[in-house]
Amino acid sequence: MPSHSRGAGGAPFLRPGEWTLLAAIVAAVVFTALADSNHSYWQRPLDSLRDIARNAALLGIFALGSTVVIIAGGIDLSAGSMIALSGTVCATTMLALAPAEMAGFKPVGPAVVAAGCLASLLAGFLVGTLHAWLVTTIRLPPFIATLATLVGLRSFARALCESTTAAFTPTKSALINVADPFFKAVRDNVWVPVAVFALLAVITWLVLTRTVLGRHVHALGGNEAAARLAGIRTDNVKWFAYVFGAMTAALAGLFYVGNESVAAPVNQGRGHELNAIAAAVVGGCSLSGGVGTVPGTVLGAVFLRVVIDAVSKIIKTGADVYEGLIVGIVVVVAVTLAQIGQMARGGRRLLPGPLGLCAIPTLAVLGGAVVAMMASPRAGAATGIGAFVLLGLLRRWETRHTAVSAS
Amino acid sequence: MNGTALAAVPAIVMRGITKRFPGVVALDDVSLEVAAGELHAICGENGAGKSTLMKILSGVQRPDAGDLEVHGRPVRFGGTREAEQAGIAIIHQELALVDELPVAANVFLGRERRTALGLVDDRTQADATARLLADLDCTVDPWARTGALRVGDQQLVEIAKALSVNASIVVMDEPTSALTEAESARLERTIARLRARGTTILYISHKMDEVFRLADRITVLRDGRHVRTVDRVATTPREVTGWMVGRDIAGHDGARRRLRGDRVLEVRDLTLPWPGHARGRRLDGVSFDLHAGEILGVAGLMGAGRTELLETIFGASEPTWTGSIRLAGRPVRFTHPSEACRAGVAMVTEDRKRLGLFPDLDVAANVSLCSLTKALRNGLLSRSAEEHLVSGPIRATGVKAPGPHAAVTGLSGGNQQKCIIGRWLLTEPRVLLLDDPTRGVDVGAKAELYTLIDGLCRDGLAVLLTSSELPELLALADRIIVLSEGRLTATFDRQEANEQAIMEAATGGAPRVDGREAQVPT
Repeated sequence: MPSHSRGAGGAPFLRPGEWTLLAAIVAAVVFTALADSNHSYWQRPLDSLRDIARNAALLGIFALGSTVVIIAGGIDLSAGSMIALSGTVCATTMLALAPAEMAGFKPVGPAVVAAGCLASLLAGFLVGTLHAWLVTTIRLPPFIATLATLVGLRSFARALCESTTAAFTPTKSALINVADPFFKAVRDNVWVPVAVFALLAVITWLVLTRTVLGRHVHALGGNEAAARLAGIRTDNVKWFAYVFGAMTAALAGLFYVGNESVAAPVNQGRGHELNAIAAAVVGGCSLSGGVGTVPGTVLGAVFLRVVIDAVSKIIKTGADVYEGLIVGIVVVVAVTLAQIGQMARGGRRLLPGPLGLCAIPTLAVLGGAVVAMMASPRAGAATGIGAFVLLGLLRRWETRHTAVSAS
Repeated sequence: MNGTALAAVPAIVMRGITKRFPGVVALDDVSLEVAAGELHAICGENGAGKSTLMKILSGVQRPDAGDLEVHGRPVRFGGTREAEQAGIAIIHQELALVDELPVAANVFLGRERRTALGLVDDRTQADATARLLADLDCTVDPWARTGALRVGDQQLVEIAKALSVNASIVVMDEPTSALTEAESARLERTIARLRARGTTILYISHKMDEVFRLADRITVLRDGRHVRTVDRVATTPREVTGWMVGRDIAGHDGARRRLRGDRVLEVRDLTLPWPGHARGRRLDGVSFDLHAGEILGVAGLMGAGRTELLETIFGASEPTWTGSIRLAGRPVRFTHPSEACRAGVAMVTEDRKRLGLFPDLDVAANVSLCSLTKALRNGLLSRSAEEHLVSGPIRATGVKAPGPHAAVTGLSGGNQQKCIIGRWLLTEPRVLLLDDPTRGVDVGAKAELYTLIDGLCRDGLAVLLTSSELPELLALADRIIVLSEGRLTATFDRQEANEQAIMEAATGGAPRVDGREAQVPT
């Protein structure tokens, strides 16, 4: 057994997997700096840094929330919709309090801005409470409860947006423009989201590793029945986890409004919940609960954004085109790498039997197609054929190796 | 092949079997010969390598070195199916049944009978299953949902599954660990029937009475090595136990009287309803007193309500019970374990892995969990304060661990249990509820736990102890209460208690047929 513990308490700040992740981030940055034909990392280093920092901070803020929920043994699928709802609640509150200024793209004043932001955070608290109630008293599986709010909150946000605009502006609308200088300042000063993210990360880290509540979160996720029998009020711990998850998403929602100068419930934050879960998983969280760290999730979020940025720099398209593909690949590769040692020790094969045989062309075609679209058809064909041959050799080696060890 | 030819060739020959796992040599050059038709017991403490050896024999794992012969033919199993084809079936310690499937589907899982159209032939399977179960004296319906069966019946389904492959060699890995006495007796009849057919049986157990009742020969493993193989008639349980632990262990001397203090816990007419069940009540009018400095044993068969009794006192059951519980004279009604904890009641749960241990937390965090506020410095958990906090109970309970931050999953079962007892000692309880605390703990560690429990009790703790092993209760308890079907059927003082009397009270005098629950007289 390894002598270090995977849970809370008394472990080094960064664990082995997290050092690897840090090295991977550095490697990705260096590779992009060298491979990018526009040399944007050399020419405009500050612009690139700003882009990555803003995106990583925004993702990181609600990824921290997802991390707490995941360590507590739950899952929150609703973060993207919560982001949309948060922005909408903020904008509709401001619209209701200062309709003339909002319509005229004028400043609404600090009091109104504060009211909007507080309303958003309150909405986060209420949604988190709803999740905890559904999970603990109705005993819905967290996946179902937050799937319901994933779908429901976005629709709710849109309805809220339309009825509020109908009441306070001449026309009903599915988006509200936000032109207050506060939000402009948040957009233009990238250190604001970065500082908020850093502060939140430190607080979350302290809570998880140095407080009784944090220890209870780990215990709950590791073994819920045992946690209850150890006298832990598991329902309250879950309440904290889900409220923290929803409120971080609400906070992120405010930054998205600033970034885009608009509250747009239809599309804002769509699919972001999966990026948050991906950042947590890449950072070492186990979806079965009990395992995960704040430094891991921070590095996971940074790594995801660095890789997305690298691809957009190297192949010169909008980052959003390949974002999902990259997140998917990174998650699979990261989890595979984390398990590969265990697989080898357990004598498990990567490409066993007929399934392994079919997996070879599947992976080759998939890899070839991705490269063909990103680079050129020729490179795609080369990648596909190369992958086919390599995987074929791997399978042959595996088959022979197992046969040898058995004889 | 006729019987004499079979008997001449050993059923199993293992030579120089070695298996390494990262950091551990599970089996080190183990050689073993099992004669055809014999019942060969494999004994050893937990971690001695018994289960690994059986996994190699049944194709679950491959040895790193060594040869295996079955009925004189060298074999090399690539998986369980190949072992099955060679006539080897294994009945695992943890039941490997799919709860949601009917019994017959479980028996033929992976080897489904098919109709001419290639569809699963449920009827043939059910008929075959019914025949197999009838052979085992078991009247379970082949169409019943497996998860709805009692553990003892599930065990028989597992055995039927092994028999359905026409195994000539059956491996039983601690088959009675989840069985009641009556079910164990039925299993022994089944074993006798298998042996009459000439089946070779490898029987893993650390229950000496069973081994000495059943086995022809006994092999002892210790720390992955073969210690010796002896004829059963040429040895004694004490000798075998000595080989298992590598030293001669004395039986626990629980006969020394303890001083009984004040009455701490007073339970009157405790009744816990059981909605939707024929019995209607999990607990039915249970009354008893527990004093400081006393160990009160709770005996009963599986399902008698032992765990429910402890959980109700601890506030962990449904809060629907009636009756009264007084703690130090004050009426209490805990609705959550945290309230019991604050009031000075502690409970060590029955199923350590499922209900006690936190595998992702280290040793220190597992011990400090219920007393974390004592490890706070300036409102935050302090590593050094926590280490200081847990060093006391770790020393007091004798946990052997590489350090406070070692992984708890790396400890032996006995040491894990000591961690959990240590966790509760930190809460400074007045009443300690111990639910089968030595289950799955090896022989050496059991003796240490007995000494620990005895010591705690002498320090004035009131202990309520359940156990699935009667000799344990007889050795430790000052008094023993017996539950049967949720009712308290007898109370014994240490002097008047014996296994016979307790078993009679536990079975409620009602006849138990085929391991089914006897009907409650209304």
